[in-house]
Amino acid sequence: MGATVISQVTPTQSVGKGEGLTIIVPVKAAVPNITAVRLDPVTHNLVREGVPLMLNPYDRNALEFALRLKDRYGGRVITLSMAPPSGKDFLESTIGMGADEAYLITDRVFAGADTLATSYTVAMTIRKLFPEFNLVVMGEETTDSTTAHMPAQVASWLGLPYLYYVVDGEVNLKEGTVRLTRYLEDEGVFEEYEFQMPVIVSVYKDSNPPREISLSRKIQARLGNLVKSVTNNELKLDQYCVGLRGSPTIVAKIEDAKPIPRKKQVFKGDPKEAAKWLIDNLTKEGVIKS
Amino acid sequence: MSQRFDVIVVGGGPSGLTAAQRLASRGFKVLVVERGRRPGSKNVYGGRIYAHVLDRLYPEYVKEAPVERWVRKERLTMLTKDSGVTVEFEIKSVEHKSFTAYLTNFTEWLSRKAEAAGALIVTETPVDSLVIRDGRVVGVRSGADEVYGDVVIVAEGINRLVLESSGLTPKLQPSVVGLGVKEVIKLGRSEINERFNLDDDEGLAWALAGYPTHYVPGGAFIYTNKDAITLGIVVYLEHGAKLDAPVHELIEEFRLHPFISRLLKGGQLLEYSAHLTPIAGLGAMPDRLYGNGYLVVGDAAGFLLHLGILIRGVDFAMESGNLAAEAVVKAHDEGKYDEEALSVYWRLLNESFILREFRAFRNAHKVLNNPRLYSDYVMLMNSFMARYFDVDGTPRRIWDTFMSSKGKLTLTDMAKDALSLVMNL
Repeated sequence: MGATVISQVTPTQSVGKGEGLTIIVPVKAAVPNITAVRLDPVTHNLVREGVPLMLNPYDRNALEFALRLKDRYGGRVITLSMAPPSGKDFLESTIGMGADEAYLITDRVFAGADTLATSYTVAMTIRKLFPEFNLVVMGEETTDSTTAHMPAQVASWLGLPYLYYVVDGEVNLKEGTVRLTRYLEDEGVFEEYEFQMPVIVSVYKDSNPPREISLSRKIQARLGNLVKSVTNNELKLDQYCVGLRGSPTIVAKIEDAKPIPRKKQVFKGDPKEAAKWLIDNLTKEGVIKS
Repeated sequence: MSQRFDVIVVGGGPSGLTAAQRLASRGFKVLVVERGRRPGSKNVYGGRIYAHVLDRLYPEYVKEAPVERWVRKERLTMLTKDSGVTVEFEIKSVEHKSFTAYLTNFTEWLSRKAEAAGALIVTETPVDSLVIRDGRVVGVRSGADEVYGDVVIVAEGINRLVLESSGLTPKLQPSVVGLGVKEVIKLGRSEINERFNLDDDEGLAWALAGYPTHYVPGGAFIYTNKDAITLGIVVYLEHGAKLDAPVHELIEEFRLHPFISRLLKGGQLLEYSAHLTPIAGLGAMPDRLYGNGYLVVGDAAGFLLHLGILIRGVDFAMESGNLAAEAVVKAHDEGKYDEEALSVYWRLLNESFILREFRAFRNAHKVLNNPRLYSDYVMLMNSFMARYFDVDGTPRRIWDTFMSSKGKLTLTDMAKDALSLVMNL
């Protein structure tokens, strides 16, 4: 893998100029039915061809969080996603929810990316296309890979602070600050943090229930061409940092879990006897200890 | 940005997309609103499309459409738990009469045709109801949103929730629909060719009655795709209460039937689905197929012809979409979309094969609704064959064997039933 130095640019801020917020919501085209996932036996990569894609459900909560901020403070919400060309369809649903524009980052050179290369691509796209952004808002994790890597890695590429499990935010446009509330599930507590924007946020998946997708917004998405495609011709990202080549993750080995042969014993009769029979047998098999 | 369309089509299935394609290609501004993720993703059917309408409307289909196999073998089986009587017809024809296909793929192909013609298709968006002002349909409602159009073509399928919630049709009666459940089983192409005795592009359409529905009115079907088998059962909902097992168990039992399971051996279940299907011909039609500002097409209009062995829906759906489009063009030329102008749709339907065939078979459902067909006669044929072929030194004359096989059926019943079948199907 070629080494590349990423310069630590602090994006300029547009807050306070009376334009409201610029919020970027990177989203993922997830595989809806996780049992339908196949792995390529040679590359060990996920086979995405022919698999219908949908918006990662938790990204909807993230988008809702962003839209609520926009509703309160004005500005614009832009979604973007690195996906095959078929990803246009599911980006349309982000416009349907209320995003102003959507960008499909799509190029052969981006294919086969792990989370590092993906986060690089997403972070650099944000920096190139929207240097004036105030918040990047992402879902807590995806339902089809659940690494939760992306927001932290995007923050790291951009050299910006990152807060996760966020449920709510209050913006001070004049000061260019945001006060974020997050919920810690295990502790059952809410915490508040104040940041100078820009900041990277991932949204607690059980917060901000997403609004309905609107028919007229979806029509606008089409008629107004609100889902745009960008390729590496425009982004000009280092080929060694994106796609398969930019991905240090190697799936060394995949093993099928062998199904355990069932003994198929059935006990019919009195429930009390059945319970005793079950306990006796499970004890005998060493599944439980008496 | 304008949210007004000339025509709004509710539902992206074969009927709605054909209407959309015809109208968009004539310059109408058309919106199709589809509930599923892609057009076709909510469609379920048995497995076969009759091609005569495609020859006319989409002649390029032979090259383009996702055809699986051309049906050249028709089979009908009266099945019991451990025996079956089969009639088979096979023809060495190269003509393209009917083919098996995945309806999802076929519908997606139709949607590309409609889009290429200029129709706008919005998916994953359910329409809740029609917008009606002063007794006139002026658009569709989805959530808090309203989108307006000069005329709305309702192509929502047999479960007419939009028409119902708009007060334009009463709730569906169980007597006019069947419940279909279906499985797609992946199997190698050469296995299919071998086990069903087919050439590479040849297909089999197979209807079965009796055991699959536990002898309740309805039936089972099997179609061969290139490298998959679709099988399913349909139960007349009216008789559903007589079933001694839920339908998902019926299909399971059917798949595991000794004659069927050996054909599917080594297969892998790819998908399963269930859907209502109109079975009552004209009886499944809503009160009206047109009104001020709207038309009804496809399954929503009840356009599925069910003749026991012959089951046709997609050709009727596409033709009704085509005629609805023609009606909209004519009404547009008149400059109004009121009930009177749109009544031309009813006239076109009457002149077309759609209503001619439905009228010719208007009593088909009544005849096919006869429970004896699915129980007594299945038993009769099977026990007749079993006795006749059971050579044990007892002389078995055809008539005597027949009389001893007929169970509680009387000759008068049989004569009456035979006559009514022949006269009405």
